[in-house]
Amino acid sequence: MSGLKSINQKADLLLEAAQSGHLEEVSAMETVAGCATTFDPGWEVDPFSGVASLCQPMEADLYGCSDPCWWPAQVPDTMNTYPSWQEGKPSAQDDWRELDAVFPNTNAVFPKK
Amino acid sequence: MHRADMRVKILAPALLAGALLACAVMMPRDAAAHDYLVTGAKPDLLFVIDPVKAQVVSEFHIPGANDYVSIIVPSSDGTIAYVLINKAESIAGIDLRTGREVFRADLSSPGERVQCMFAFVVTPDGKELIAYEYSTRLGIDSYTVLQPKFVVFSTAGGLHARPLRQFPAPRRIEMLLAKQDGRSFYALGFNLYEYDLGTGRLIGKRGILNWNRPHHSSPDMLAFWPVTEPTGIFASPLYSTLSGPGTPRGGIPETSLMLLDLRTGQLQYHDFERTSAPIFSAVLSPDRHWAFGAYTALTRIDTRRWDVAGRINLAHTYYSVNISSDGKEVYVGGAMCDIAIYDSGTLQKKGDVRLPGCGDQALATLRVVERQ
Repeated sequence: MSGLKSINQKADLLLEAAQSGHLEEVSAMETVAGCATTFDPGWEVDPFSGVASLCQPMEADLYGCSDPCWWPAQVPDTMNTYPSWQEGKPSAQDDWRELDAVFPNTNAVFPKK
Repeated sequence: MHRADMRVKILAPALLAGALLACAVMMPRDAAAHDYLVTGAKPDLLFVIDPVKAQVVSEFHIPGANDYVSIIVPSSDGTIAYVLINKAESIAGIDLRTGREVFRADLSSPGERVQCMFAFVVTPDGKELIAYEYSTRLGIDSYTVLQPKFVVFSTAGGLHARPLRQFPAPRRIEMLLAKQDGRSFYALGFNLYEYDLGTGRLIGKRGILNWNRPHHSSPDMLAFWPVTEPTGIFASPLYSTLSGPGTPRGGIPETSLMLLDLRTGQLQYHDFERTSAPIFSAVLSPDRHWAFGAYTALTRIDTRRWDVAGRINLAHTYYSVNISSDGKEVYVGGAMCDIAIYDSGTLQKKGDVRLPGCGDQALATLRVVERQ
């Protein structure tokens, strides 16, 4: 870490953790599930830096990610923040057109119903 | 849904019960046993499926599921399915013969949000249920994260079950598994912990993140599916990189299988493939000579040679894999709204079952229960 300079608050925290010997608290996904505790590359890239090994079709994975708050930046977190996002839309493959965009820090679903 | 379909669904359990009773009279006890698949789907559904007929035989609504049906843990006698529902804030016990809710633990209370992050288990005698709980005190201007805990309920606690006892727990646990002697349970997280069921005393801790295998990096693991049937051995893939002289920068990706024997406590890791396909969940065959893993491909693993004996592409991603009690059929489910049935020897598809309503199974566990 000695060659790195923090430029935002999150990086400050990481640096502080490293200096106080708590860096092991920041670990990649290892049996951890839910709400921003994972560090997967994300929704867009598979383990081989391609797309062939992503879930197929994308809709197969949609509720499997929203239910456990898996990638809350990419998929609305229905566990806490947007609990009604999929209400009345039990089938992602059939209902995906009805799934609305959401915005952070509000419970707003766009467009407003 | 058509009226005729409704009638079939209502009558089927009774007819099935009668047929099974007749069979039980005529056949030896073991021969009369029959596998049923259990899975859940949105918005609030629990299904019992006859894999031989490839038909749904029961369809139950779980009260207050709140668009959320996920981890399923059956009692050891196969009569009750305990299901994590309601945004992970409730666990319901559903009688698989009648669909009646016989157990309910609502974990949250006013001012305190409690969620079970996928980790709960029922003891082998069926009398107690252990849940891992994350609690958050909801203040007017702040939330306070509280100490995670293991909470033990009596399964006879009815529809307003209250904890019998509770113990402090480490953070980052995502699966509980019961040891078969009924005296302790395992908690799977960064480490594999074993706790005394009665006192909550930590009996042992073995590394997963720090598994200390030569030339292997720390492993990565995705263990959402607490399937232990039919062997009593929990199996899960792990991913690491191999490094050493001559290996490329960044190492060589390797897939391993973790096996935890719930009778003996034996923990094993076996490498079987230079990672070429993700596997989400795995199951061991009854003779323990084969393991099967599912994701967007179905993988057959030879556990005597520890290599990949077969792999086929699936029609779509399935999260959850299971196997028949005789080892002849492999089932894949989870994610979307169907279950596919494969021959375990050839990986040829034998059939599939589309769930009525086509609600997503998402994280619902595909379980096999054996009943008379």
